[in-house]
Amino acid sequence: MNRSRFVFCMSFLLLFSINACAPKMAMKGERFPLMYEEQPASILILPPMNESTAADAKDYYSTTIEEPLSFWGYYVFPYEVTTEILKMEGIYDAELLASTPLAKFREYFGADAVLFTTINKWDLAYLVLAATLTVSIDCELKSTKSDRILWKYNGTVVVDLSGGNTGGGLAGLIVKAIITAAASAAADYVPHAKVANYRALSSMPYGHYHDAHLKDQKQQFIDQTPQQ
Amino acid sequence: MIKFFGIISALAVLSIAGGCAVPPKMYYWGDYSKSVYACRKDGTDEQLIKHKQVLETIIEESQQHNCRVPPGVYAELGYIYFRQNKNDDAIRFFDLEAKTYPEAGILMERLTQAAKAKGQEK
Repeated sequence: MNRSRFVFCMSFLLLFSINACAPKMAMKGERFPLMYEEQPASILILPPMNESTAADAKDYYSTTIEEPLSFWGYYVFPYEVTTEILKMEGIYDAELLASTPLAKFREYFGADAVLFTTINKWDLAYLVLAATLTVSIDCELKSTKSDRILWKYNGTVVVDLSGGNTGGGLAGLIVKAIITAAASAAADYVPHAKVANYRALSSMPYGHYHDAHLKDQKQQFIDQTPQQ
Repeated sequence: MIKFFGIISALAVLSIAGGCAVPPKMYYWGDYSKSVYACRKDGTDEQLIKHKQVLETIIEESQQHNCRVPPGVYAELGYIYFRQNKNDDAIRFFDLEAKTYPEAGILMERLTQAAKAKGQEK
């Protein structure tokens, strides 16, 4: 009796711990049904709000987001052009952007959806033999037709900046340390920022220029969104 | 089955993120991000000329590989001409953007009108 009770308790504990460790998976279609209902074709990227301590984060984000979004099958308005127009219209400030009726973006640009982004964290960490970039962002894709949130992402992406394993024992380690130092000194984070954006978009359903448009409802992704 | 699709899509993302495997599957973006970033950091004419070349290379490479020119590239090039007061060139590229992507129609029409008005001022 005692033993079976023990086994029962242990298996219960084990199950519990597995549950806690396993990443929570979600399906695109179940998580973001409005994307399939409204099927936005075009996305206007608004200047991100930067709440991180890195002054450059905004530029890194905004120069590397168009490319992944286009590969996701959406028409992406040219950020350099639209931001210039927003500046001329006097709505560049984040608060003004947030208070502008979404229908205005539809009227002026013809955008089906608008992407709002807040950068919470943009941290570089240097360890002895490695460097990592930790990016934490909140994104919301809002419909200009219905004002509804079609897709969102709140999560953290960690990118390894030290690159692949150079191999070869101590000599290899030294080489790697030099490469890491050189990579950090050059401060060329554009490719890493792009990787972070690709990963952040992984839960977004594909747009109509992508072959898997309306066929990816059952595709799973790791849901990083905190429970509400 | 789902796992299989997961792997395939992960591979697809990797191949895209890992810099263009030849020939490009959907779009050729070349050095776009790096070039735009450089322009933001260094707003000189020299940098803008380099960026213009990057945009022109994207258009050429895309045409060579029978890819659609990525969204916004024609429009951005048109906008550079617009700012240089080369309004006929600007209109030509705004038109190409609208023809490639009907989604851009409203904005391109707006920019075309602006370029025409600017052309008449001269």
